[in-house]
Amino acid sequence: MAFLEINGVVKSFGGLRALQDVSFSVRQGEIRAIIGPNGAGKSTLFNVMTGLFPPDSGEVVFDGVRITGVLPFRIIRMGIGRSFQITNIFPRMTVFENVQVALFAHHRKSRNPFGMARRYPSVAAEALAILGQVGLSEKHELSASILSHGDQKRLEIAISLASRPRLLMLDEPTAGMSRFESRETVELLRTISREQGLTLVFTEHDMDIVFGISEKIVVLQQGGVIADGTPAEIKANPRVRKAYLGEETTES
Amino acid sequence: MDLSFLTVQVLSALRQAAFLFLISSGLTLIFGVLNILNFAHGSLYMLGAYFIYALTLHLTGPAGFVIALLAAPLGVAVVAVVIEMGLLRRIYVQEEIYQLLLTYSLVLIIDDLAKIVFGPEYKSIPKPDAISGAITIFGGTVPVYTLLVLGLAPAMALVLWYLLYKTRTGKIVRATSSDREMADALGINMSALFTLVFAFGAILAGFAGALAGPARTVFPGVGTEVIIESFVVVVIGGLGNLWGALIGSILIGTLETVGIVVFPEFEMALIYLLMVAILVVRPWGLFGRPLKVKALSDKNLGMEAQEISPVHFSMHPLVRLIPLALLLLVPLMAGRFYQYLLTQILIASLVAIAFNLLLGTTGLLSFGQAAFYGVGAYTVGLLATKAGFTPLPALLLAPVSGAVAAGLIGFFCVRLSGVHFAMLTLAFGQLVFAIVYKWYGFTGGDNGIQGIPIRPLPGGIDIASTQAMYYFALAVVGISVEILRRMRSSPFGATLKSIRENSQRAEYLGVNVKLYKWAAFVAAGAFTGLAGGLYTLMEKSISPDMIHWTKSAEPVLMTIIGGIYSFAGPAVGAAVFIVLNSYLVAWTENWALVLGLILLGMVLMLPGGVVGFINEKARGALTKRGWVRKWLFSKSTAS
Ligand SMILES: Nc1ncnc2c1ncn2[C@@H]1O[C@H](COP(=O)(O)OP(=O)(O)OP(=O)(O)O)[C@@H](O)[C@H]1O
Ligand SMILES: [Mg+2]
Repeated sequence: MAFLEINGVVKSFGGLRALQDVSFSVRQGEIRAIIGPNGAGKSTLFNVMTGLFPPDSGEVVFDGVRITGVLPFRIIRMGIGRSFQITNIFPRMTVFENVQVALFAHHRKSRNPFGMARRYPSVAAEALAILGQVGLSEKHELSASILSHGDQKRLEIAISLASRPRLLMLDEPTAGMSRFESRETVELLRTISREQGLTLVFTEHDMDIVFGISEKIVVLQQGGVIADGTPAEIKANPRVRKAYLGEETTES
Repeated sequence: MDLSFLTVQVLSALRQAAFLFLISSGLTLIFGVLNILNFAHGSLYMLGAYFIYALTLHLTGPAGFVIALLAAPLGVAVVAVVIEMGLLRRIYVQEEIYQLLLTYSLVLIIDDLAKIVFGPEYKSIPKPDAISGAITIFGGTVPVYTLLVLGLAPAMALVLWYLLYKTRTGKIVRATSSDREMADALGINMSALFTLVFAFGAILAGFAGALAGPARTVFPGVGTEVIIESFVVVVIGGLGNLWGALIGSILIGTLETVGIVVFPEFEMALIYLLMVAILVVRPWGLFGRPLKVKALSDKNLGMEAQEISPVHFSMHPLVRLIPLALLLLVPLMAGRFYQYLLTQILIASLVAIAFNLLLGTTGLLSFGQAAFYGVGAYTVGLLATKAGFTPLPALLLAPVSGAVAAGLIGFFCVRLSGVHFAMLTLAFGQLVFAIVYKWYGFTGGDNGIQGIPIRPLPGGIDIASTQAMYYFALAVVGISVEILRRMRSSPFGATLKSIRENSQRAEYLGVNVKLYKWAAFVAAGAFTGLAGGLYTLMEKSISPDMIHWTKSAEPVLMTIIGGIYSFAGPAVGAAVFIVLNSYLVAWTENWALVLGLILLGMVLMLPGGVVGFINEKARGALTKRGWVRKWLFSKSTAS
């Protein structure tokens, strides 16, 4: 039984088939990239996997439990964290509070209506540690809304890490970052994955990153899987070369 | 049932539906394109009626009437253009609630101006002889004017249909209404479009007023009656959807007519019950869909959004003791009038702070808080009168009944947000109002309950005395406010703020967002109920007025005046509101006008409220001196 299994997932929006019969599986501890041209269905797959909407048919099994149709907050509690393609943070809270509130949720303290939020030294220390990991310690007192785009992306990773996921799903984690920032972020992800045995599933348009860190790659095109294998296999796959890598030069 | 009776009823239902459609089509059109729920739409209707009244004073005869009927809506359109270009336009990039409040301030202003110009009494508008008689259809007597309405309203609907479906501008309007982001991206000139649509919506409202005026009557305040009816219609039909407005008008027009004949007692309740029933099954109305409102890009509006920062310095704990000391000492020196005034302020503060747990902290605009206030007040009133309860046990049950009511109502409301949440809470609030208003056997109906016996507290403290009541209220409100303050600074409060900032992300932290919204709603309901209970003890009489939706608007106003993103803001706003109210009422008849102007000024110039303004200035002036900052303020946190 694989750690994460996607079985025959189909999803349509009106007449548009965004996902058709998508199946693949992910081992525990694996770093897995999902690639494909714009509109291939990558984000839709993320959304189905994390319960934003159910698939029309097919199922997602995480660690032996079927999670299709389960509400997002329950899926998160089962040990899945995610980030969004369009940065999704709490803009008018401080950087520190962004992570703190995530930790409250993770430690099941959110429901405490009487203790003071700032009187949780262990939570505060943990929040600062996570912010340190992503390189945001110095900015922890700032309002999240004034961070640069790259910093907001990192903050979102920090928020996702706060729920101590076993599976972390990142939708274009380095989009909009400078080359330098991207490299740092990639290093960070690799370190976390190695040290904490975290399974990482991510989408990315930057092929250097994709081929640099992933152990296996799934290629989507028009909602269907056209290839699934190691970076070397993907590079050699003629369908991929034709459908995707050929196009890459014309993209941004 | 005989045919003549049926004919009369059917035609009367259709006439009602025709008026409703004229008003609500404009309302829904404006919402579709501008994303603003225009509270002032009822006031535009009222202006239409007053304009035709004024015009027919000078223009007599059939020709004069026709001219007046056409000129009145155009006059309303002029007013609308001034409103849109002078006021509304400045806050399109602001949060939803500010747009709602701006239009609400216009209700206060326009209604009071109408009172000044036309006087407070009901006016009837003379019809030319040719259309003032009645004819007999199937044995039933039908006013000719009804037939005229039934001819003109569909004609207007046809014009509307033609403009929307057959002209280029109409196509742009529809495209914008169904996907504003796309229209925005295509570079459509939003400013011109917004003015046009707002003016056109106003013409429809003005025409409705001009047409309905001679059939009904007109008086200042008719707008607030009409607007609620039209809210019901557009919400049932689906906000922004014209077909929805049509079906909604027919449903409500029929229900009102049938209701008056079959259940005269509960006609009003029936309407809200229908609305609630429909929204429970279809939260976005019959033809509506979930709103995906994204802020417009600045370029097509030519302005930038002004962020109201919720990041505040919090006061040093010692500084917070100053108001408490004042509240304890001042009444000893002040007379009974001030003690009474302060008691009112205390109660209003509790309502407003509890309300702001929803608005400022969780981002939920509840427009039905008066229901919980009323439930708490009636709990104490009924227990004291009918069951001989002493004040303390009765008052302890007020938050319980407030919480139960909020639990039930919240169960249906928390899956919604934004304007839909506001409308559903409004409908539930009005449902409670309608029940209390008519249930003579239990609640005393519109008479309310007077002379509620308030026995002394244990230890012989007689809270019938103004001073004892003041200190009793201070204790109860003080404890409640402290609980609410802790709630806001707790992990629970932090989680509510995260829901306000980004409910989707909150869900993806593993937070059961609906449950938390519900919990906040219940907590707010409990404290509002408690405040209602205190009101009963203070006034010794209650009436359904305190449950009417205009009462639900009060905590909203107080919060905006005081400051939405500060804990003390709503209390400051409550004080300002109550003081202004008591002094202005003595000084001028036009307290609503003054309040409306203040609200308008706040929305346009100080959206952060009084406290937000002080905070802003204090940050600038005081942080330069390190010791001042150290003493007055502790670390900055998001409110
Ligand atoms: N909520 C939705 N409603 C309707 N259509 C949608 C929705 N979400 C996605 N789509 C459509 O489904 C298709 C797949 O979109 P998706 O966002 O999954 O692509 P993607 O692979 O993530 O692309 P990108 O690389 O641009 O992020 C697109 O055609 C998109 O327009
Ligand atoms: Mg995507």
